[in-house]
Amino acid sequence: MGKIPGAVVIVEEGLHGVRFFEFLTEEEREEFAEDSESATFEAGDKIIEEGAEPGNLFVLTSGSVEVSKKISGGGDLLLARIDAAEGRTVVGERGLLGESGASATVRAADPVEAIKIPRETFRRMVSEGRPAAFKLSYRIARTLARRLTRLDEEVVEAIRELESRGETDLEAFRDKLITDWAI
Amino acid sequence: MQGMPSLRDVPFFRHLNDDEREELEELLEPAAFEAGETIFEEGGPEDRLYVITLGTVEVHKAVIAGRRQHLATVEAPTIVGEMGLLTEPRATASVQARTPVEAYGIDRDRFLEMLDADAPAACKVVYEIGRTLAGRMARTDESIAGIIAQLERAGADDFTDFEIFQDRLIREWSF
Repeated sequence: MGKIPGAVVIVEEGLHGVRFFEFLTEEEREEFAEDSESATFEAGDKIIEEGAEPGNLFVLTSGSVEVSKKISGGGDLLLARIDAAEGRTVVGERGLLGESGASATVRAADPVEAIKIPRETFRRMVSEGRPAAFKLSYRIARTLARRLTRLDEEVVEAIRELESRGETDLEAFRDKLITDWAI
Repeated sequence: MQGMPSLRDVPFFRHLNDDEREELEELLEPAAFEAGETIFEEGGPEDRLYVITLGTVEVHKAVIAGRRQHLATVEAPTIVGEMGLLTEPRATASVQARTPVEAYGIDRDRFLEMLDADAPAACKVVYEIGRTLAGRMARTDESIAGIIAQLERAGADDFTDFEIFQDRLIREWSF
């Protein structure tokens, strides 16, 4: 895809306004801006599809999205609603770093504007040893670590509650939950 | 333990160039644990990161008072203490050597200083840690999705509190 000179400027401004990228220096933000693309979605468009190959990171700059997951009995379970105006503005961070496919679908709830950092771009920056890519990884790793820790705490608390009430199915439940403890 | 540590063999260090590897080697303190020896005690400090180059460790947690739940068995080469590095320096589980273990310790504060100074060596190691965490998060998400589906099928009658539980788990979802 040919690059429109003006597009870079727009993306760069986008990164400026986003808290998620504040840790980058001006220069590094420019590096990312050069390789990012702006993306727009209509209400109902899929931004990330559950089960798809690990893909891109999106920084939402306006609009809101819904995160849902298929459940085995059929139907969708709504996991979250994310509004670009309300702080948490990044989706797809795990796909950028990891090897497994998306675990949920992210769909535009109304018209969404976003900045896309393609996985290939990120990987290339990593293989070139560019500091900006590693700094972004640090942020993502911290986010994932905090989430895993909170999840672990919730699981332990739930198990303790159930045990105190004498739940019988506890063992199977516990084994399933504790398959992958984070040290 | 003799000679310089060969970080080249540890996957967490594969992106480092020679200079970066040297920079990191300055922080490494050789450590050895006997089989059965505790590396981290649940609830105790987790102020070091250990790069385990030889041996096997086991992870346990006192999920229910008085009973130790086995969580994982991990073989070298691996890293333990990475969650303490990225969150709080307090061990949420116990890590014990199952066999004689050889490792290199890295002081958490010194490593964080390197990270805050954007030292490429530290950033690259954290990139690898992040990849590990992304994989772990994916598997955790799948386990939780399985449990939620099971609960929905079973009907909520016996599990009145599960809805709350489900809500709390879902809040931490990542994708």
